[in-house]
Amino acid sequence: MSEKRNQVSRRQFLNYTLTGVGGFMAAGMLAPMVRFAIDPVLKTSAQSDMVAVADLSEISDEPTRIDWTIDQVDGWYESEVPKSAWVYKDENDDIIALSPVCKHLGCFVNWQGDESHPDQFYCPCHDGRYYKSGVNVPNTPPEEPLDEFEVRIDGQTLYLGQTKPHREA
Amino acid sequence: MQWNNKDLEQYIDEKVIEYVDTLLIPLMPISLKNDKNLIKRAFQAELLSIFGNELERQFKGRMFLMPIYHYLSTADKQLEVTRLNEWVEDALTNPFKHVLFLTLDSDWKKVEAQLQGEVLWFPSMQSGDLQSDETKGMVKDQISQLTDLIKTYW
Repeated sequence: MSEKRNQVSRRQFLNYTLTGVGGFMAAGMLAPMVRFAIDPVLKTSAQSDMVAVADLSEISDEPTRIDWTIDQVDGWYESEVPKSAWVYKDENDDIIALSPVCKHLGCFVNWQGDESHPDQFYCPCHDGRYYKSGVNVPNTPPEEPLDEFEVRIDGQTLYLGQTKPHREA
Repeated sequence: MQWNNKDLEQYIDEKVIEYVDTLLIPLMPISLKNDKNLIKRAFQAELLSIFGNELERQFKGRMFLMPIYHYLSTADKQLEVTRLNEWVEDALTNPFKHVLFLTLDSDWKKVEAQLQGEVLWFPSMQSGDLQSDETKGMVKDQISQLTDLIKTYW
């Protein structure tokens, strides 16, 4: 019995315990630091803001109006906010999603809304016009190109996110 | 433009004011009488505000959406016509060019000639589920027809 008791000496026992406790403390400090360091990798790449709005087969090289709704919490109440976009494929087969909100005073523009200017977006309020790319036609009221939506494609589904200024703005 | 803080801050800019020349006043009948029309009136009230908001969203830079004008469905239409004409006169001096009344109440069709604005009356559903795809599709379709109609007044 006494031999067995001496297999772990007092010094060894203290060494093991201190290393063990110290190890736990070090891990406790390091774990959050590691978590912070790799945090950007674990982020869900802002996917939560992106909404599936259409199937790719619905998109052609002709701008199509797409409507969807998002939930918005607005301080006082939560509401479903309607959203719209003009979506088409450009000559490189990239998806372009333009905001329909005129940069003049915020009316909705329509593709080919004016018969005398086919292949342009037209704002019925004050005759603002935009080329298909979304760039404003000079000498019409708007002074900036239409905003663009963030676009993401997953398989055959088109996701749209927030609006951002036009790439040529 | 809507009657709220954010839009009015944009509206009071002199350059913006001159572009907003159309006033849209939704007309909504109210009655608490517990008859078979009670639910219908509430349903149409919701529908009317959807139409108002959606039209304003499309024509934000040219159309001002007034808060909804409520009246008792039993009220004397002649009195209401007098009141609404005061609204129109106030709007025309401040300085709107077009005043449009948006309503689902067909009674306004009968007194249309006495009103100094245009009555946009349209028939719509009496009841149903506002969230269903069917209703949404129909509302969307009616709104696109209404926007075409409004453009003809400009």
